[in-house]
Amino acid sequence: MSGKHAQALAPDTTLIAQTRPDETRAAALMRTLLTRRELMLVVLLVIMLVVLFGLSGAGVTSGPYNGVTLASNLINVVPLAMLALAEMIVILTGRGAIDLSVGSIVSLVSMAFGYMYGIWGMPLWASIIGAVLVGAVLGSVNGALVAFLGFPPLIATLATYYAYWSLAIVVNDQQPISSPEIQALYDTARSLPIFGESFPRIPAGVFLFLIPTVVVVWYLVSRHPLGRRLYAVGTNDVAAKWAGIDLARTRFTAFALSGAISGLVAVVTVGQFASARPDAGNAGSGMALPAITIAVLAGVAITGGIGRVSGVVIAALLVTWLNAGILLLFPGNHGTQYQLLALGVLLVGAALLNGYTNRKYHIIN
Amino acid sequence: MIDATPRVRLTGIAKRFGAVRAIRHADLEVLPGSVHALVGENGAGKSTLIKVLAGAEVSDSGAVEIDGERRTFSSTADAIEAGIATVYQEPQLFGELTVAENIFIGRERRRRGTVDWRRQHGEVAELLELMGLPERYATVPVDDLSIATKQQVSIAKALAQDAGVLILDEPSAILTDAEIAVLFGVVRRLKERGVAIIYISHRLDELFLIADRVTVMRDGETTGTHEMADMTVRSIAEAMVGGLDVAENRRRDLSASERVLRLEGLTRGDDFHDVDLDIGEGEVVALYGLVGSGSSEISAALWGMKRATSGRILLDGEPIVPRSPRHAQKLGIGLLPADRKGQGMFGFQSIAFNVTAGRIAKFARAGLWFDGGKERSVARDMIDRLAIKTRGEKYPIASLSGGNAQKVVLARQLVIVPRVLVLEEPSQGVDIRAKEEIHTIVSELSDQGVTVLVVTSDLPEALRIADRIVVVRGGTTTTEFGPTATQVDVLAAAAGDARTEDHE
Amino acid sequence: MTDLLTRDRPAAGKRRGRVLPRALSTQEVVLIGVLVVLWILLGVFTPNFLSAQSIQPLLASAAPIALIGVGMTAVIVTAGIDISVASMLMVCAVVMAKLMVDSSWPVPLALLAGVVVGGLCGLLNGLLITIGGVHPIIITFGTSNIFMFIGWRIFDSKVVNGIPTSVAWFGRGADGRFLGVPHSFLLVIVVAAALWWYMRYTAGGRHFYAIGNDQHAARLVGIRVQKRTIIPYVLTGLLVGVAALVATANGTQTLAQSVGQGIELQAIAAVVIGGTSIVGGRGSVLGTLLGALLVQTVESGVIQLGWAPQLAKFFVGIAIIIAVGADLLQQRLTRRAS
Repeated sequence: MSGKHAQALAPDTTLIAQTRPDETRAAALMRTLLTRRELMLVVLLVIMLVVLFGLSGAGVTSGPYNGVTLASNLINVVPLAMLALAEMIVILTGRGAIDLSVGSIVSLVSMAFGYMYGIWGMPLWASIIGAVLVGAVLGSVNGALVAFLGFPPLIATLATYYAYWSLAIVVNDQQPISSPEIQALYDTARSLPIFGESFPRIPAGVFLFLIPTVVVVWYLVSRHPLGRRLYAVGTNDVAAKWAGIDLARTRFTAFALSGAISGLVAVVTVGQFASARPDAGNAGSGMALPAITIAVLAGVAITGGIGRVSGVVIAALLVTWLNAGILLLFPGNHGTQYQLLALGVLLVGAALLNGYTNRKYHIIN
Repeated sequence: MIDATPRVRLTGIAKRFGAVRAIRHADLEVLPGSVHALVGENGAGKSTLIKVLAGAEVSDSGAVEIDGERRTFSSTADAIEAGIATVYQEPQLFGELTVAENIFIGRERRRRGTVDWRRQHGEVAELLELMGLPERYATVPVDDLSIATKQQVSIAKALAQDAGVLILDEPSAILTDAEIAVLFGVVRRLKERGVAIIYISHRLDELFLIADRVTVMRDGETTGTHEMADMTVRSIAEAMVGGLDVAENRRRDLSASERVLRLEGLTRGDDFHDVDLDIGEGEVVALYGLVGSGSSEISAALWGMKRATSGRILLDGEPIVPRSPRHAQKLGIGLLPADRKGQGMFGFQSIAFNVTAGRIAKFARAGLWFDGGKERSVARDMIDRLAIKTRGEKYPIASLSGGNAQKVVLARQLVIVPRVLVLEEPSQGVDIRAKEEIHTIVSELSDQGVTVLVVTSDLPEALRIADRIVVVRGGTTTTEFGPTATQVDVLAAAAGDARTEDHE
Repeated sequence: MTDLLTRDRPAAGKRRGRVLPRALSTQEVVLIGVLVVLWILLGVFTPNFLSAQSIQPLLASAAPIALIGVGMTAVIVTAGIDISVASMLMVCAVVMAKLMVDSSWPVPLALLAGVVVGGLCGLLNGLLITIGGVHPIIITFGTSNIFMFIGWRIFDSKVVNGIPTSVAWFGRGADGRFLGVPHSFLLVIVVAAALWWYMRYTAGGRHFYAIGNDQHAARLVGIRVQKRTIIPYVLTGLLVGVAALVATANGTQTLAQSVGQGIELQAIAAVVIGGTSIVGGRGSVLGTLLGALLVQTVESGVIQLGWAPQLAKFFVGIAIIIAVGADLLQQRLTRRAS
């Protein structure tokens, strides 16, 4: 419609100050904390650790909460942080993009990995690559539905959530795969005295899976051209199109990457439980929920264009260590219950905070 | 019968946005049962004045009187209540709801709690008849209708509110001749009913068919009201221009240079047809077209956003068919979009991000590692060259004024200088200083040999920077103006005065 | 007089008095056809699908999905979504169960309590979404957890035994039927008809569509967007309360924490398959009803065919893709014409 641009707009001279001379110290501090989510998360993390360490020292917790606890719980950080990064990549592309199917992809690829490594006897390295590839293919289905067929991401990933979950269960008649090779994988979940005997042992999975994934995702999002496109499309997809960016390809790639990461998480969980289980990613309320919670907590905006890897990692640590602390404060089933509450409250609170911050400081309409 | 009290009287209206005075001083009197045209160039203040009357903006000073009573509007709802109905170019309708529902939305006639569909249907039928639309349209979802019909529904909706004042903002821009005739029929019937109609249009020749009086605005001021019977197209154009001589123009005769871009018989259905255009190396050609002329569709075709159905585009003699903005870029075309906020800016991203967003791959070493250092230096270079007022390339583009933000989006196109640079409305919504700076940049570019096509509805701009001006009207290229063109000539040609068709 | 319509649309329905678009959309007609075909096929390939013993429990099982789906239709029409309904159902169910078992409340009173609890949960969702200005999917993800926590605490890691047999009125057994149709399903029809009427014939109902179409424009024409956006969530909450009792009655005398697990996705599937657009502005309750029947038919059918029960999920996923894909295609064809 040619009418649009010639509708004489009032001259736009609203100058949002680059300098804020009349901002008080307190307001500046608030602004920094709110817009630099990583900083706020670090502060919260430190406060939380201090409180929990203190409670542990005072004997309130049912078990010690100390450096060893933190280190050993890192094994739980691995899958959660990885999936949260996957969600971040998708959510960055904006327009409410989200991936509900990550848990089901984990389940289905777990079974695929179980077949490749446990039944068909493929070498480990090939099976791992295979898992990532299968995950990427499954994610690509989401990508094709969204980017090329125009499905709303919620619906596309809802459908694949169902489809992949059922396939995972059916493919081996609801039975997990626990061949000897798989069981031997439990070794990967071992903790290693990386920093010498006096320092707590770090689970091997951190080095084998988490750190490489964090590095690769960081590289893709911050240094590879793809990252630029992700942020551009998420910030303003119309402007991205006019600037010559291929919207469909960018969105498709985001979903494919999310699937690939989920595929790798499948390998992690198989190793962790020494068994390829058909409900690996769907047990309880599924893996998508905590992953999305961590991403939102990390400041990833559901409208797109905002989010950083560092935030996601810190948020994952925060949530995992908080969960560990909760289990020690409320032993037994109560612990799991309070974990759930914490997750829910964190999500709602973080979302409201994101909304408030973005409206106030990021000039989002 | 002359009614002494004007339906609408605006006195001493002034409105500024930040540093820019959109309206310096405006007076307007509209009598009931009359069609009052409001004309003026882009930026003259027409739209802002209308927004003040419609309650969408609050004036800084001045008074609004409706039927002799002083009124203050703090919102559009207030204005609607006072009987002022506005129909904008973009129909503000709910696509999924029916025509009848749209007409009554928010003010449904009720009976015992539920909607009185029967009564509404009756009223809708009446309105549709007035508009010349079939009764069965009442139950059709609006999205099924053509854009012209949607506009008629908008008008019907305005009427359903018992409007005493109807403001039509460029209504004929999107209509065919037949549809315009229907529209005029409706307007005349409304006139008979005593409605005061304010008709904004660039199409001066049409005004003679429908308007009784015309008020001209220029540079934020209403310069006078005249009876249509006393005017001609040319005299209105002169009043709009005001004898302001656009002194500094650099119209050079570059007809001998190699043709870089050539459009031959380019056609795309209803959007444009038989477009002929050629631009020489280092030449600046302005494609001057008013609202609805088709000029923006033509540039969209160059940018690969819409495809022409027949005709050719030749770049350096080679026929090209841009398939997408990426493809157009690869072919050597650059384009600055018209809607800065919606199509150009990545609002909360940094200036550097915005500058490099069009050439991401080129900033990546070996296609794998985005060179932040190079990005910074290019951004800083652009900030220097284009005199962008900012504290640094890290600041978000949304923190800049309109003019500076525009320069950033322009810079995006200059990272790798294209063979042909298309600028859509380059100084729209930009303050005077930045406007001059942007024009200087364009001149410098053309001196360096860049071929520039400026698609604009801002005539002084076209006269200032272009070597030649090609007028677009009714979806096709019509008159071409060279070095001796005056503002009045071009305006009259674009607004449809047949006598100027043969101007060189 | 030029006909300015872009697409030929026959003047459907009576000329006088019909002031709204056709009551039955293409999607719904297709859905009815698909259901009929499925039922016939299942009747042929299974021992006794088309028998009362089969259809009655099917209707009873479809009832909770349909009840929630009806409310969810209004939510999705206003361009929202509510993923917390499963947890909400658990909370309502356990509250009602405890009241009936531990405090001996009669069933109708307990139902009232459950409905109130559901309504309050829905209100919380509505308030957080409108006041916080945050995308509903994130908020309801979060409240889903919070509700689940509350439900778990009330369950206290136990199950509730001894659900009184009087709930059978809502159940799938012989006591729960009227003329062979389960009460719960009749309830569904009543509720669905009421909301269908509301969304088609009252201004408030039509305003849902306006809000889903263009929230900003809706505000400009004077619609109370905030209030109108909260109502669907509250309505859904109330319906979840009813669905909770039906789900309880459909089960055994023991209520476990797993009650209602996965129903949020079934409800959304029902709505989407029924032709309601996830981006809002379009849709109808009738479609949701058919969608719920389809989802349940798939689940029951798979079991009766002797296939792995999880395959039902697969088919539901496929159904979602087909339904939404068809809808997108239709929209694209319409747009291309205009």
